[in-house]
Amino acid sequence: MVNKRLPIQEIWVYLSGSPLLALILTLTAYQIGHVLYMRSQRNPLVNPVAIAVLLVAVCLEVLDMPYAKYFEGAQFVHFLLGTATVSLAIPIYRGLSGLKGRVFPLLLALVAGGLTSIISAVGIAHWLGADQAILGAMVSKSVTAPIAMGVAERLGYSPTLTAVFAVITGILGAILARFVLNGLGMKAWWQRGFAIGVAAHGLGTSRAFSVHPEAGTYASLAMGLHGILGAVAIPMLAGYIPTF
Amino acid sequence: MIPGLVQILLWQGAGELVSHFFLPHIPGPVVGLVMLMCYLVVRDRVPDSMAVVSDAFSQHLGLLFVPAATGVILFLPQLRQHAWAVVLALLGSVILTIAVTALVLKFAGPGADGE
Repeated sequence: MVNKRLPIQEIWVYLSGSPLLALILTLTAYQIGHVLYMRSQRNPLVNPVAIAVLLVAVCLEVLDMPYAKYFEGAQFVHFLLGTATVSLAIPIYRGLSGLKGRVFPLLLALVAGGLTSIISAVGIAHWLGADQAILGAMVSKSVTAPIAMGVAERLGYSPTLTAVFAVITGILGAILARFVLNGLGMKAWWQRGFAIGVAAHGLGTSRAFSVHPEAGTYASLAMGLHGILGAVAIPMLAGYIPTF
Repeated sequence: MIPGLVQILLWQGAGELVSHFFLPHIPGPVVGLVMLMCYLVVRDRVPDSMAVVSDAFSQHLGLLFVPAATGVILFLPQLRQHAWAVVLALLGSVILTIAVTALVLKFAGPGADGE
């Protein structure tokens, strides 16, 4: 009654009720991930998103905060995904000049690569007995995450699993691309870049930029075109895919 | 920066409307993306203020999917149960996708001789 100091619990109740806590958690975790990524000379294994997710997950566990409550606050960050998707028009526009004289092979490779990513992922996962939710999330995982999540949402697949698979795909692609491409004897930078962009979207693209600017430009063109193709074609194909 | 952000938000809004009324199976932001891209092709240049916003987004795109990706904690039991299927599907798929895309480019195009 005379006691004027605020008990720690009260502060806690106040903070956890506002979006601030979720926003601080999200941004701090990403910041830590980003600093580590930079320190590692952009090693694809030190992925800032993976680190951030791990840190946030541990914090939620420690604070005993349900995910739904966290998302209530973090949805402000989540909302910007749509805006970021629209702004992808700019890198795609910049890459369009790279299409000159190569429209046919690039589009053919894009369609072939896009189909391969869906068929191989869903096929292998199904063959090894994965359930429906996992199969659905495999469908758009090679499309850049913001678009993949939008597509998954519309088709009733889990946007969360899609995002997780997309991030893992990006990490794997950024690490493995070099070996696959060397193994196939691919030498032209534009071809190497485009292949990475189709398979491993944003992370592959940033990897490609760090290796060679021409590879980076083509990777970002591939990522953008795959995003558009995925958004248009996957809903049309969806009726045929997971009918297992 | 603000004029660029306003324009991008307006394109997003237009995309949402078109998607809602005409193309219900394509996400609104993707429709906005395509419309903005056509606009840029017609204009033949990217306004500076828009470039600033776009560069900021693409540099830290990853941040934006942290909230959704953290939802993976709800799926942990399911993922653990199918861990092998998930790992091998992702691994196999990314290798095959890179290989197929690269091989098609190698055999389908001009300039395939490389540099």
